[in-house]
Amino acid sequence: MSFWGALAGGLVGTVVLSSSLRFAQELGLTRMDLPLLLGTVFTGNRRRASVIGYAWHFFNGLWFAALYGVVFLAAGSASAVFGALLGVVHALFAGGALVNVLLPAIHPRMGTRWTDASQTPILEPPGFMLRNYGRYSVLGNVGSHILYGAIVGAFAGDFAIV
Amino acid sequence: MPRQNGYVPIRDYAALGDGRTVALVARDGSVDWLCVPDADSGSVFGRILDARRGGCFELQPDQPFETERTYLDGSNVLTTTFRTADGVVRVTDAMTLGGPQLTPVRELTRSVEGLSGRVPMRWRVEPRFDFGRKRTTIGLRSGRPFAAADRDALAVGAWDAGEPTLSTDAIEGRFDAESGSRALLNVAVTHQEPAVLPCRDDVEDRVRRTIEFWESWSARVRYDGRWRDEVVRGALALKLCVFSPSGAIVAAPTTSLPEWIGGNRNWDYRFTWLRDASFTTDALLRLGFDDEAHSFFWWFMHASRLTQPRLQILYRVNGGYQATEGELPHLDGYRSSKPVRVGNGAAKQVQLDVYGDVLDSVWLYVESGKSLDKATAKEVAKIADYVTEIWRDADSGIWEMRSDPTHFVHSKAMCWVALDRACRLAARGAIPDRRERWRRAADEIREFVDSRGFDPEKNSYVRAPDRRELDASLLTLSLFEYRDPRDERLVGTIEAVKRELAEGPLVYRYRSDDGVGGREGCFLTCSFWLVDALARAGRVDEATRDMETLLTYANDVGLYAEEIRPDDGAFLGNFPQALVHLALVNAAVSLMDAAR
Repeated sequence: MSFWGALAGGLVGTVVLSSSLRFAQELGLTRMDLPLLLGTVFTGNRRRASVIGYAWHFFNGLWFAALYGVVFLAAGSASAVFGALLGVVHALFAGGALVNVLLPAIHPRMGTRWTDASQTPILEPPGFMLRNYGRYSVLGNVGSHILYGAIVGAFAGDFAIV
Repeated sequence: MPRQNGYVPIRDYAALGDGRTVALVARDGSVDWLCVPDADSGSVFGRILDARRGGCFELQPDQPFETERTYLDGSNVLTTTFRTADGVVRVTDAMTLGGPQLTPVRELTRSVEGLSGRVPMRWRVEPRFDFGRKRTTIGLRSGRPFAAADRDALAVGAWDAGEPTLSTDAIEGRFDAESGSRALLNVAVTHQEPAVLPCRDDVEDRVRRTIEFWESWSARVRYDGRWRDEVVRGALALKLCVFSPSGAIVAAPTTSLPEWIGGNRNWDYRFTWLRDASFTTDALLRLGFDDEAHSFFWWFMHASRLTQPRLQILYRVNGGYQATEGELPHLDGYRSSKPVRVGNGAAKQVQLDVYGDVLDSVWLYVESGKSLDKATAKEVAKIADYVTEIWRDADSGIWEMRSDPTHFVHSKAMCWVALDRACRLAARGAIPDRRERWRRAADEIREFVDSRGFDPEKNSYVRAPDRRELDASLLTLSLFEYRDPRDERLVGTIEAVKRELAEGPLVYRYRSDDGVGGREGCFLTCSFWLVDALARAGRVDEATRDMETLLTYANDVGLYAEEIRPDDGAFLGNFPQALVHLALVNAAVSLMDAAR
């Protein structure tokens, strides 16, 4: 079991997660664009938002990998399956609270129940489990986080499956 | 004029665009065509191809009305004035131009201004994504009416335009437009990303900036002849067909508008034909749009790189070369003209004339003072080499015959044009010099065309050695200077075309069977080619008369479809067609030059 392995897994897992979400977008399964959602917290310029969003998402990937590492240390073991289970929890948290409640609360350009687009253009809010962005968004979100968790778990647990 | 079975004449449409896609607005205020996100994507409003299932965005008085339409000066922003018994209302329609800021992926905006009285208005948005093939759900997002279908979605903004009501298949509203009132409707489209819901101030600002952009763009038109308004409109129509991210130009932004009502000649034109390369480069350079000519030139040189030295007939606007033809059987087609096709099977045909068009375009580009990089210069020379190998092959010709390939005289002559331009380029040092080989092949082609492709009895070039009929494409031999445009043989060909293919200034492409079946109208491009050929032959008065008559066939906002019925002036075929407007611009400039 290695904490540094979890961080390395976070690096690889974030690349895989970002790429799989992008593929899901291209395949028409979801309209979720995480870099755009994150980057527009800081700027209304699309180009800059994408760059900032990718950087922030990468940082989040490492930060969450560190949290995974702490859980693995506490449990005294790590594996791909354990990581995948944490990925399910991660996905539920991300889709249920992080992106659905917290992000709109701090996002200056995202619609909420108490703001509308009367003064400034706003982004369509994601809704519970990102369902506003397409009916397959739930699957895309959960699937990509399971993949992320499995990679982090595998790296942290010397590539143990179970 | 009331709709007949839900359809209006093609002539009744005006076009809006944003450099990515084009919307068609009917005279009665209904947007009946809009593909999103791009011109070659599926339609969200496709009523023009199926009055019941296609989808539309209606906006009109809720009482009998008459309309007048015009584009705002020098722009592609449309105004429609509705006159009713109770008052007058003006609607201004625009596809706004985006930018790096947080703007919708595509945006259609309709401003409603009460000019006098009090006019009850109604509007209705019926979104049908992907030609109506996708299940669309309608609901609210942040309080705004919203329609979503997987990767595509749209939000409807309505300010002072009544309280929107939602049903399972439409979003609609009603309001009264009083003198001095201003309402605003907005459709913000997204694709593969969260939707942007714009605010009113931003929308109105974008409309202003869009008008400014068009005005400044059209002010650059370098033409001071007698038909400036028509030439500017032609240039603006052409600009509507430009896919600005790549510089490619779609032949027309529609699919399957029929070449005869009820017929089966219904094709998808939402691709870029290399054939149009020369006419496009020529027109853009002659009008002073060097940047656009530069973009288009490099687009087609890059797009064709995957197949060079062989050139495909058409490419997608994003540079792709797959254009598999299929049908949409769930759509009725414009006034029951089936099938509705997407993709175009002509992509796989051999059409030799395209080599002449492309090499002429390269020549025009270099002649205008621009240079080729080494790799491109080598590719151009390889294309010329390839022409020396294939010119003896039979092909499907400029009109994309679906009958057996044959030896079209026009195709052979264009192979000569290709080699002639290659020699000119080599003489300038622009491409590697293999003039001896190219000139030898060019002489052989000329021998073939002049001995087997000319009929002394008709005193005209003919379609093919085994098909001794006329073909209007032979008019382009004057335009490409296959011979001196005043040469007896070319003048004889003009006379023969007028005799056998023309009804007044309107010209049919040909009269014989082409393997497709069904009828078609007169081809407006050929009609403008005739004017151009006459001008180059020095028959300026005759050309001017024909030009004046042809200009009266435009619709009320100055646009043309591909074809026209000579008996009643009804438009046929895809609309608006880039090649017709190119031919108009080139004919006008040729006439101006000839008159000088």
